[in-house]
This record gives sequence, structure tokens and C-alpha cells, in this order.
Amino acid sequence: MKLSRFASIVALTVATALPTIAMAADKPVVGLVMKSLANDFFKNMLEGAEAHAKKRGDYELKAIGMQNETDFESQLNGVENFITQGVDAIVIAPADSRAMVAPLKKAMDAGIVVVNFDVSLDEQAKKDAGVDLAFVGPDNRGGAKMVGDALAKDLGAGGKVVILEGNPGADNAAQRKLGFEDAVAAGKLDLLDSRTAHWETEEANAVFSTMLTAHPDIQGVLAANDSMAIGVVKALDAVGRNDIKVVGFDNVPAVAPMLKDGKLLATVDQFGSEMAANAIDKALAVVAGGPKLEGWVKTDIKLVTKDDVK
Amino acid sequence: MQALEKTQASDTADTRRLTGWSPKVLLRDAGIGLALLLLIVFFSVSTEHFLTPNNISNILTQITINLILAVGMTFVILIGGIDLSVGSMLAFCAVVGGTVLTIPDLSVFQAVALATLAAVGTGVVCGFLNGWISAFWGLPSFIVTLGMLNIARGAALQVTDARTIYSFPPSFNAFGSQMILGIPVVFLIALVLVAIAWFVLSKTVFGRLLYGIGNNEEAVRLAGHSLMFYKVAAFTIAGALVGIAAMVYMARLNIASPIIGIGFELNAIAAVIIGGTSLNGGRGTVIGTLLGACITGVLANGLILFGLSDFMRQMITGVVIILAVIIDKYRERLTGI
Repeated sequence: MKLSRFASIVALTVATALPTIAMAADKPVVGLVMKSLANDFFKNMLEGAEAHAKKRGDYELKAIGMQNETDFESQLNGVENFITQGVDAIVIAPADSRAMVAPLKKAMDAGIVVVNFDVSLDEQAKKDAGVDLAFVGPDNRGGAKMVGDALAKDLGAGGKVVILEGNPGADNAAQRKLGFEDAVAAGKLDLLDSRTAHWETEEANAVFSTMLTAHPDIQGVLAANDSMAIGVVKALDAVGRNDIKVVGFDNVPAVAPMLKDGKLLATVDQFGSEMAANAIDKALAVVAGGPKLEGWVKTDIKLVTKDDVK
Repeated sequence: MQALEKTQASDTADTRRLTGWSPKVLLRDAGIGLALLLLIVFFSVSTEHFLTPNNISNILTQITINLILAVGMTFVILIGGIDLSVGSMLAFCAVVGGTVLTIPDLSVFQAVALATLAAVGTGVVCGFLNGWISAFWGLPSFIVTLGMLNIARGAALQVTDARTIYSFPPSFNAFGSQMILGIPVVFLIALVLVAIAWFVLSKTVFGRLLYGIGNNEEAVRLAGHSLMFYKVAAFTIAGALVGIAAMVYMARLNIASPIIGIGFELNAIAAVIIGGTSLNGGRGTVIGTLLGACITGVLANGLILFGLSDFMRQMITGVVIILAVIIDKYRERLTGI
């Protein structure tokens, strides 16, 4: 995708120019590598990190994002730029669980503390590259299972459900799908169909409408993110079906009214705004001479239902 | 002198032959209609639910936005241009319209009227810039609209700070799923736009000159017409239609997000090309575009009902686009149109 390269460079320049407060040489520099800042979830995360940097005040934050969910190249360039700049730590939400292993190894070889959050790097790819790197992040599979269980409890055994998947190939999409399938198996639900709507509202609306035509007896929908759940809710509104239960993932602000009037049964909050800040804390502890992180440092997830909406 | 003769030719016989009323042109559209019919018959026989009133209105709802965008794209492609920015513009128009729509203390009527004005106005400005910049500096519209693709997307993100806009007036939301005799109102809006576009392209001097530019730009210029005006007009019309599509998007899905519409330009181009409009310009009809949009919509819907995997579905859509161009090549050779 050469097309988006120019824009990524612009975005990169702007993003790195943003936090220019206090360039004191003795403060450690943390390079934060985000995914698409065009997404509420990562936007909140960045704002959380910026607030955190201001509050702690003992490190300098440099943040970069990417154009869209599949723009690996600008992440790659961002990591390389951080290596060149000689930052003390790189805190990264990898766009691809395999592609980012090699550049991160380079960073570690250069003596930079690397913390992987949000999406875990692929175990096999890490092993192949000889990288030993901990993961700080939520259990997407566990979260999907949790919200799937809530649906299963509501429908009872034998409930007929469909899944709307995220982007094929994306790690969190795969994990959430597995979590949904775990819930389907545990709750003895009947899975009628499972298709991707590429995380998108409009596509979810169209794909779900068609699924509903094929299976008018659907009782529940498991959407791998809230954007798709919104498309499903709208499709149900359009045909006047209020007997079908929908669950989503992410707890974006737009679903609050839907949770409130029962159009969305539940969603999952991963506390995105705190996630980057948490990972930065962990990285700074290591920079300050603390022990190396190991394994999977799980972050909080919470089931959000009607009761949680004020 | 030669060019002048050619001008007269293209003003009379050529143009008339190409703009939608000659038997050959009707035959072209009929061919595409036949392909659509075959698809419909295939899915009706092979799947249980395809030919049900609910599913038909589903398909009509699902193709509406692509159809509106494709009608605009037809104008641009007819003059030999391309507009890669419509997906981003859709997001920009939607967030501008959505912002207006959520202004407190406005009556629903005021809010919707102002939002429509704002969304269409945004589309018109972007489209105008696309056309004017490419015409004034003689730049390929491919490049200019590629620039606009980034500008409009960036602008959409900038004005919203990357946040999704929601909580529109309930009656506006309800309008998006309104039906008249089982036909979605939003689709009827699209049909009216198709009818207007058909009239403009085939019944007015303006429309014929757009075909003329696509066929032989130099000849139209030598005949004393301002190329600038027609080029800017084509892109501006496309922009205005993006604004309308943005309103339809918001009515249907009740949100306006700066990240909607990614890749929509390619779906619109696909509908136009499958509908038999030549990428070189000067050849094609908006009725073809309507049929092309129906073909892509029927395929997307029918293949799910057929139970095909998402990946197979994507491959088949690709095959159909290439097939359409190949068939067009043969048709050109056989009929000379």
C-alpha cells in the first residue's frame, strides 16, 4: 500500500511532534506504537497514555499511529525510527502478530526495552526469531467467552446463534472467534453461521440481514466488535425483530443507549484507555532496573450490561 | 479541419448513437439485464430464501448506497475520468452532516434539512475541487482524487477527533428503514436519482457533451465548448451524490463515523464497469450502472444464502468484474459500440 505511505508520514510527523513538553535529557523516552488512531478504541488509549505521561511527568512520550488496521508499513517505519532515535523503551500494539517480530528483535538487540501490549505476538514467530518477550494485555478469547456466556445464559441450551467475525487474519479477530466458539460449546448453543463483516457497521448490517433471511430462526448474535453489533441492531430495528439478542465487544460510547434500551444484551470493556498507560508503567519499571517481564501479564476485562449504563 | 469534421460528426450521429436511444445501446443494456436475470434465476432455484419479498427488499437496501455513488461515478467515468475519493468523501460528508444533525434545539425538520445541505455542500466542494484541479492543471483525475481520498479522510478524522457521532433524531433513524409496498424508501430515492441522471445524460445537450468529451475531448474543445466547465460539472455532480449517499448512510445505520466508506469507491467503480460503461469514457449508460449495482448486490446476497465461504465470495466478485470487461471487449468488436 504505497498510496497510504505519504499520509502515514504526515501522520507520523504530526504525532511525534505532539508531545514536545520538556525535552530534558535525563528523562527516559518511551516510544508508543499504536494501531489505527482512526479508531475510537486506540484514540482513547492514546489519550489515556498522554494523560498518564503528564501525570507521571518523569518520562517523555513519543507516540505514533497508523492509517488503518492493515497499514503494517507505517508501524514498521515507526519502530525503525524509534531505534534510530535511541529511545529507552518501545511500547507496541502490533498490527500484525508475525510481521512485527523482526523489527522488535532489532530494537531489543539495540538495548531497548520492548513491551508488547493489546495484541500478542505470535508464539511460533517469536520462537523462530529467538525472541523472548512478555505480553501485557487482555484475554480476547476470555472476553469473548465471557460475553458469549452471557448470551448463552439468556438464551438457554439449544439457542440458535450466528457469529460476525472481524478481519480474517487479525489475531484479535481469531481469538474472539475462538472465545465465541468456546461459549457456544459450553452453553450448548446451535451455531448456524459464522461470517466476517471486516469490523464494519455497514457490512455487518448487510451480511446479518442476509443471514437472517437464510435463518429466520436466529435467536442470538455474537459480534466481534461493537461497530458490527451496531449494524446488527439496526438491521433488527429495520425488520422489527426485538426477540433476537445481540452481544458485542469493546464498549464504545455509541452502544450505551443500545445497552440501556435492551437492544444490546452485553459487551466487553477492555479498559483501552488504561491499557497503554499500564504497559508504559511496566516498561519504565524495567528501564529503571526492575526485573524482566515474563509470560502473559493479563489486564482487566469486564462484562458490561444494562446495569452498568447510567 | 479534420478535427472540425469529426466534431460535427460527434455532435450529431456519434453522440446520439451513444447516449441511450439507439437500438444497439438498448441491446447492450438488455445484455447486462439478461446476465442479472440469469443470476436471479440461478439463486432462486438453488437457494430457499432468495426470491422472498423480505430478501428482495434487503438486497435493495443493501445496494442503495453503492448505487448512488455509482451514478455519480458514471458521470466521471463517462468523461474518461475516475474518482477514487468517494469513499473518503462519504465519511467526510457524513460527519459534517451528522454534526449538524445532532445540534441541539433544532426541530427534526430543520436539523435534517440543514444536515442535508451541509452534507451535499461538503460533497459539492470536494467534487468541485477534484474537477477544477484536474482540469485547470491538466492532471490525471486518478492522481487528484487520490489526493482527495487522503484529504477528505483526514478532514473527517480532524473534525470529529476520530469519534463516532450518534444519537440522531428518532424519526430520522426510522426513516432509514421505511418501506413503501415492500420497497425501501432509501432505494426509491436512489431510483429517482438514476432517473434524473438518465434524463440529464441522454436528453440534454449537457449530457451529450459529456459523452463527447469521453469520446474525443479535442473535438469538443474545437467546437467551442469549455472543457473546464463540463469536467468540473461531472466531478461536482459526483460529489453532490456522495453527500446524498452520506445522508442515506446515516438514516440507515444511525451513526456517522470518520472511518466509514473505506473502499466504497472500488465497489462503485465495479458497478459502473459491470454495467458496461467503458473506463476509457464516452460509452455507457446509467441504466447499465443500475443493473451493474444490482448484479453486485445480488451476488453478495445470493452467495451468502448459497452458503459459500466469505473468501470464495470475494474471489467470485473479482471474477465477475474481469468477466464483465472481457465481455465488453467482445461486444465492442461485434457491434462497434
